[in-house]
Amino acid sequence: MNDMAVQASHLSKSFGPKRVIDDLSFEVSRGDVIGVLGKNGAGKTTLLELMLGFTPPSGGAVSVFGHASGQLPGGVKSRVGFVPQQDELLDQLSVADQLKVIASFYGAWDANLIERLCAEWRLDPKARIKSMSVGERQKLSILLAFGHRPDLLVLDEPVASLDPMARRQFLEQLVDASADGQRAIIFSSHIVSDIERLANRIWILKDGRLDWHGDLDSLKESVVRLHIRGVAQVLAGLSVPGALSQRHEGAFATVVVRDWTPARQHSIEESAAVEVEVESLGLEEIFLELHR
Amino acid sequence: MFVLKPQSGVPIYRQIRDQVRRLVASGQLAPGAELPSVRDLAVRHAVNPMTVSKAYSLLEAEGLLERNRGRPMTVASQARNSSHLSKRLQQVQPLVEQTVLAAKQLELSETDLLKSVRQNWENGDE
Amino acid sequence: MSTVARLVYSYFMCTPMTRALTLGGLALYVFSLYVMASWPQSEHMLAFAAAGQIALFLGSAMMPLMFGRIAQSKAMVLLPHGRLKLLFSALITVAIIAAPAGLVTPFAYVAGNSGKFSDLSKYPQLRDFTVNLGLVIYTSSCILAGWLYVAMWFLSSQRNMAGLAKGLLVIVFTLFLPAREIRELSGTIAWNLQALAVVWTIFGAGFLCWPRLRMVRAWWRLPDLLGTQTSARRTSGREVDLILGTRNPWLMIAALTLPLVIASRIGTGVPAVWLFFLTIFSTVTGAIAGQAAERSRALWLRRDWSRAEIFLQAERSFWRHNSVVLGVLLALMVMIGSYSGLPLNLLAAGIPLLVLGTVLSTYLGFMITRGIRWPEASLGIAIMLALMAIPLLLEAGNANLAVVCAIEGCLAVLAFILRSIARRRWEQIDWSQCRPAKVLSTRQA
Repeated sequence: MNDMAVQASHLSKSFGPKRVIDDLSFEVSRGDVIGVLGKNGAGKTTLLELMLGFTPPSGGAVSVFGHASGQLPGGVKSRVGFVPQQDELLDQLSVADQLKVIASFYGAWDANLIERLCAEWRLDPKARIKSMSVGERQKLSILLAFGHRPDLLVLDEPVASLDPMARRQFLEQLVDASADGQRAIIFSSHIVSDIERLANRIWILKDGRLDWHGDLDSLKESVVRLHIRGVAQVLAGLSVPGALSQRHEGAFATVVVRDWTPARQHSIEESAAVEVEVESLGLEEIFLELHR
Repeated sequence: MFVLKPQSGVPIYRQIRDQVRRLVASGQLAPGAELPSVRDLAVRHAVNPMTVSKAYSLLEAEGLLERNRGRPMTVASQARNSSHLSKRLQQVQPLVEQTVLAAKQLELSETDLLKSVRQNWENGDE
Repeated sequence: MSTVARLVYSYFMCTPMTRALTLGGLALYVFSLYVMASWPQSEHMLAFAAAGQIALFLGSAMMPLMFGRIAQSKAMVLLPHGRLKLLFSALITVAIIAAPAGLVTPFAYVAGNSGKFSDLSKYPQLRDFTVNLGLVIYTSSCILAGWLYVAMWFLSSQRNMAGLAKGLLVIVFTLFLPAREIRELSGTIAWNLQALAVVWTIFGAGFLCWPRLRMVRAWWRLPDLLGTQTSARRTSGREVDLILGTRNPWLMIAALTLPLVIASRIGTGVPAVWLFFLTIFSTVTGAIAGQAAERSRALWLRRDWSRAEIFLQAERSFWRHNSVVLGVLLALMVMIGSYSGLPLNLLAAGIPLLVLGTVLSTYLGFMITRGIRWPEASLGIAIMLALMAIPLLLEAGNANLAVVCAIEGCLAVLAFILRSIARRRWEQIDWSQCRPAKVLSTRQA
């Protein structure tokens, strides 16, 4: 029984001369909730499409539940749910009909869940899709991926057009889906606070490479801001390995470092005779510092 | 019961862990009291259930919580007692550090600070 | 005024393709003058000018779409006198497009009568006459160009059957009525100018007042008689067709029938042109396959099909749809043709013509897996020209039958080649580079 939802080794993708994804290797286990962060154009959508076989890799390989993404058998496809950035709704249908059409492709469709969510998320089954707002369309797109209870759920900017209340409802539903620890969820978003709540692993995509891939908790413990107090001359010459940014004003210096361990605090204080106070950063700050 | 701030620099599992410790130490969570299930807590606060689970497991390892088959976690009956002095001091430690640092930055002496602490202690007793 | 100038410039020069077409068209016109001077009265004297005109028109083909997009944009509300400037830009574009035809007319006339260009300066009467002729041609071309732009706007901005029907209707009217006039050169400047004035006033007034007239829009939508709104009961078993857009062939048949009937009422007097129209309709039928690749994206994770199998299923789905439309078109052709007493050989030759039109455009559409680029565009133009040539050759005389058969044979072979190219492309399809175009949302949240 393969426990790996997704596995990639040395994955890369180029569009012509442009290298969008460069030598990525990662693993996604069942039970992981992975948040993918990156600037616009960093390759998030391409990465998600590579994983699911929508686009062939230029180099390396990626597999889903043990099968190569380009040749997924039907049994694996029915365990995958995907919410693309651009919805694929059929404008001339009603909500109920669109759901029925997609349901017909899957053997196991949880109609009760869908009915409950339609009511909770205020989607009128009789509404015509072409007259729905962008937020409603996005909610419906998300629903379409939930109905067959996939083991791997991949969402590309699923909440970009949702208001805060709708976003919270969606998050609660994702939490519920991941509660049994059997599902793997991968979602990319700009809304860092959502990722902060929900993800247990973070991928930070920068220039096509995974600048960070690991636990969110370790990330928060590893990228910190140091407030250093000491003699001005000492501070001026202070170099902290792994510093992302450094600011120095008289007797105070502020340094943001990555790869921090508590042991380093002691060693810095000893070697430079300074006082170090460690400030933990929120995910948004960490992201900004890593991209400075 | 809990106040969780996902945006804080402190990881969520640590926030839960610290808050449970405080609640048990102060007696607000009595031995045998039931904590919300992992799923309930996760959904209510919209946070990752694995994070909640991690916090609960760490607390179980510390001896603060007890796992019951088929029922949510409960506070261990030994909890209050095992929370002896050093552990309770550990809870206050970060606050003490912050206060001392602030005092030093403001160039207050140790005596000044202790005087202020004593004053606050006596005021709190009234 | 600089806004207007910049708008007009961008209509002609916005993409490399339109730039090439515009400049190429102008070059062809200039070259045609040279041809007329050196080889007057030659058969193909006007061919270069005609080619130049077509190229020039195609080069500005983005104008209706850009015009429509800008008109609908929020920026239009903020731009001072925005709608007025936009209207001017369209007027100027039409004026520019029609200009070369009018300018070249005096020279063409002189060359056609084996004169020399210098005659124009020598004989004032000749000059006056040809200038007058040039103005007639110019104003007629303005009218024609205006209507063609309207047709293009319907076709390119409303990506549905209603838009198709409107576009084809306009094309029918514009190409049949003025075509007759230009043949007989019966127009006068005064009449043309009046027509221009009336049309542009109505259009201009409507456009400028559009924001207030929006409620009237409702009636212009084709009624929902044909089940454009689909219910689940009717679609069960045909979900794949729904996703690919081939669910209901009767929609397309309805869109084609009205223009076809009108074309037949006014056009059967000119059998070649009428047959040419039918050919256009048959190629339009297949052209919806251009969306096949981008829509097939939705099938990848939902069906246990490999990319090769998706191609075969899509092909099957499109033929289920296209064969019905093609069948109706063929039946209409035979019925209307024999009712109007058209020669039998023309009808007989028309059958493979229509079939080829649909088959070729279907597979050309399937080949579009990475957007329309030079190879696909030039293939499309070449196929259209070849298909256009057949009715003309047939009308010219039975001696050309052999040539026609040869052309049709080559086209049939081409169809097989296009299919295998399409199939190979689909086996490697990269859906990252093949996304549905983002349609402007018609409803604000």
